[in-house]
Amino acid sequence: MGGSLLKPVILIGVVYAILKFVVPNIPGSAPLPASLIFLYLMLTTSGIVIFATLSGESKDAFWNPIQRFLTGENIGGLQVLRYGVLLLFPLMVGWQTYSSTATSDAPPSENRTIHPAPPGEYTGLSNPVPKTPDTIQQGKGFYAAFCSPCHGGNFDGKGPAARGFNPPPANFSDPTTIAMLQESYLFWRIKKGGVGLPIEGMPWKSAMPRWEVELPDEWIWKIIMGEYDGAHQAPRTWE
Amino acid sequence: MTQRLNYIVPTVAVGAWLAMGMLAVQPGSAEEKSAATVQAESTLQSVSVSAPMVKGALPVDDPNAAVWSSATLARFPMSPQVHWPNRILEATVRDLNVRALHDGTNVAILLEYTDPTEDPDDAAAIQFMVGDKKAHFAHGQPMAQVEGGPVNIWFWKNKDGKALDMNAKGFGTLKVQTHQDVKAKGAYANGTWKVVFTRPLSTEHADEDTQIAQGGFVNIAFAVWDGKKDASGELKEKGSQKAVSSWWYFRAEAPPDYSGYYYALLAVGLALGFQFVLIRKLKKGQSA
Repeated sequence: MGGSLLKPVILIGVVYAILKFVVPNIPGSAPLPASLIFLYLMLTTSGIVIFATLSGESKDAFWNPIQRFLTGENIGGLQVLRYGVLLLFPLMVGWQTYSSTATSDAPPSENRTIHPAPPGEYTGLSNPVPKTPDTIQQGKGFYAAFCSPCHGGNFDGKGPAARGFNPPPANFSDPTTIAMLQESYLFWRIKKGGVGLPIEGMPWKSAMPRWEVELPDEWIWKIIMGEYDGAHQAPRTWE
Repeated sequence: MTQRLNYIVPTVAVGAWLAMGMLAVQPGSAEEKSAATVQAESTLQSVSVSAPMVKGALPVDDPNAAVWSSATLARFPMSPQVHWPNRILEATVRDLNVRALHDGTNVAILLEYTDPTEDPDDAAAIQFMVGDKKAHFAHGQPMAQVEGGPVNIWFWKNKDGKALDMNAKGFGTLKVQTHQDVKAKGAYANGTWKVVFTRPLSTEHADEDTQIAQGGFVNIAFAVWDGKKDASGELKEKGSQKAVSSWWYFRAEAPPDYSGYYYALLAVGLALGFQFVLIRKLKKGQSA
């Protein structure tokens, strides 16, 4: 028998191996989620079924061995395998049912938006403080006094007070933080702090102070300049 | 008969492949899960406190009782409170160990942390959200774009030797409740504080007290004050000057639930029946 069924089985095995072991190792790729691998295997399987049932002959060649295997007529040594499959299938269905009804031990998952949209009045503001070595230096001084305990003397988010906070303080030297944002965005985040975030930013978790109650706007704009300079980043522009 | 087979056989084949796909997929996801667990343990950074249910009395007065070891240890990093003035930039306590137990009626939570000196003003607190509204982890500070709820704070101070059950909705709004449901007991030895807080899982004041339903997750946060005095006689840590944690999760584990096994058994029976009927039909078809 085997012949017409062997090829599809090998094909499925090869596709699975490629998705599981080859794709993650392609540069720039990542391991595929199990659900996606499952989807690809299903597509492969339906492709095989469609191909096998194109003509009456190929259909018989495909189904007859399956049918013979299931009924157990004239399959000789495969009889043991048949009993194995007939036993394994119900057990698998049972296991699948059990694992889908079992309660999860994991806490609720959280999808926090790291850089949510700012309120309208904080978009497109430009820094009113002239950018001079002096003002940048002042900004760095304010940064050292007010920001560095959490965001770090090296602008890396690893200040001595940072360890207990979740989410952790932003790492400004990371190109996905302030380098992606405009100065007006930073002005909003510093002025209004964690409690100023919209709901998708999970404001109840952020330790960022609401600096508007302690610092004048001019100092905040200077801190922004000091931050970009110290972290060796530039604000995002739309040119 | 062969006409009907044309429908039955493809259905079976697809079903079998579906099941095999599941089989191929399951070990993969199990691997992913165990890898995550191992990482959490090795860095000793937990995300939740899980309180198992115990038979017999809770060790409400005994922070050193042997039964505490039946609870999984959770460990949380602490930061100085910097969110709001008056802030501090350095706090004594940097890590907090937490264990919890419940007996179906009451919950007991054990905080354990290193403090080099025992002082009358040493203090510790546990904070919860109340109701469905989110509350900021710093005393339920008001949020600009989200309507927040109050926090419920269980506070213990060494020299008072008891707990206070309080509410707050922002710094400066702390209020002691008229009904006190929380008990606390501290024990200091070898540079380590152990403090047990106890309260009924649920109370009659759902608008002020956090309600702990078995099996469900609630938000929890912690604070610790080192009551040591500096050279000038001022307290190093007091009021908003304290060590704090972020929000984490707390759960009183539900009693064991066996319904999953019953459903699995039912599914096995159905699958066996399906196989039986299918093969019988196939055999009939062949002989026809």
